[in-house]
Amino acid sequence: MDRQIKTLQDKNSYLDFRKQERVTLLEILDRALDKGVVISGDIVISVADVDLVYLGLKVLLSSVETMERLRGAPMAGAQEEPT
Amino acid sequence: MKIYAYGIIDSNPEEIVLPIPFKEGTNSGMDESLRELGEAPVYNIPYRDIAVIVSELNEEAKEITDTYILEHERIVERLMEGFTVLPMRFLTVFNTKKDLLSMAEFYYEDFKDNLARLHNKVEFGMKVIWPADTIKQRIVDVYHKTKHNPERIGLPDLLKEGPNVSISTESPAKTFVKEKFQEHIIEKEFQEEANRCIQVVDDYFNRIACEKKLKRLQTENLLLNSSYLVEKQRQNDFKQAFEQLKNTPGDLKFLFSGPWPCYNFVTLTKKPSSVDYFNTEDMLGRLLKTQDL
Amino acid sequence: MTMERIIETDSESAFIEEIEKVQDVLPKRIDANSKNVEKGLAKLVLTLVELIRKLLEKQAMRRIEGGSLSEEEIEGIGETLMKLENKMKELKEIFGLKDEELNLNLGPLGDLM
Repeated sequence: MDRQIKTLQDKNSYLDFRKQERVTLLEILDRALDKGVVISGDIVISVADVDLVYLGLKVLLSSVETMERLRGAPMAGAQEEPT
Repeated sequence: MKIYAYGIIDSNPEEIVLPIPFKEGTNSGMDESLRELGEAPVYNIPYRDIAVIVSELNEEAKEITDTYILEHERIVERLMEGFTVLPMRFLTVFNTKKDLLSMAEFYYEDFKDNLARLHNKVEFGMKVIWPADTIKQRIVDVYHKTKHNPERIGLPDLLKEGPNVSISTESPAKTFVKEKFQEHIIEKEFQEEANRCIQVVDDYFNRIACEKKLKRLQTENLLLNSSYLVEKQRQNDFKQAFEQLKNTPGDLKFLFSGPWPCYNFVTLTKKPSSVDYFNTEDMLGRLLKTQDL
Repeated sequence: MTMERIIETDSESAFIEEIEKVQDVLPKRIDANSKNVEKGLAKLVLTLVELIRKLLEKQAMRRIEGGSLSEEEIEGIGETLMKLENKMKELKEIFGLKDEELNLNLGPLGDLM
């Protein structure tokens, strides 16, 4: 695999990938993003940004705090302390 | 220091084919090519007779998300050469080693079961695309031709004719329901055609794969997204099967990939006991099943 | 046994297009401010209303297909469904929401609609 790794944060970077590379990346994302050993609960934290923490859940509302307020409790995986 | 986890292995000494065995907490025994993810060494944390493969994570690693998915994958695939691996979902990070060991304790039976089941097996993927618009157009054409055939006798006259907005005597409600009904019939036929095609395509691999996971019509054009669990020694049979499939004439286009770590075949039976855990997927899934959408 | 991974297709563009529809490959940044919070709520509520509306439509079509309804009854159903659809269109306009925005992705279950 090519040692130069580009980030996907910037769409233009992503489009720089050749088609073959994009297909590879999409295939990897299709698997590693929400398959495999999927652990949720108090003991797992992600260091990613908010929107990526919820990649699998496709958050409709605009922020974690709002969701928490509506549900009345911290979301699993969003907080450091267990409820 | 947070801990990033790549996967679970069955660290059975006889199975190790990497030149040097792992040593806990150090990289002194490590195969050089497994260094990465922020330049941190990759090592194993054993738990009973299995191990979690990890590396330590820099707190400031904001770029971890997309940049590292390729690294994550590379490391898991490297591990596959020597062990049975249960790949972790990307971005599984633990606050402390204690948390990680709690997790290992919680899921231990699940891990053991999966490691046994997935031993010496790999995953292959196949995606199939078809031209949904063309398929639907064909259905519409057939629908119009067979309007007066006996099968349609059961329907009230209202629906035998298609919607006709030019006739002023037809109320908007009539037009509306005719249009909706036509859409419904076409959609139904479309779904049945999809099932037929999927059946044909899937049959190619049934004899070779141990298990499979099929996702149908993720989009109108993405007819099938399937994963197959295949024994390592049957890989070539599998590849031959898709060589054959690839060459069949018709509207279908194929994408084959593999071998992959067995992402789609890890099944965890234990759910976290956290009261907070709210499984939207589960609930909506059950709702949708009752409606048979 | 070394396993070299292959990814093989002769229609890269077509697959990239479809797969990207399914995955949000590029992380979206959603800003948190009060305006968006309201819109977020409206989205959630209307998504669920749309779900119910579409289920009702589907059920109605099945009953019609079953052949046990009179013409008047069928027309009556058409009237009701039409009103529901128009009402939803109004609400979407009021909140400035498009059809694509009212879709829920259920992960392994695919999209809601």
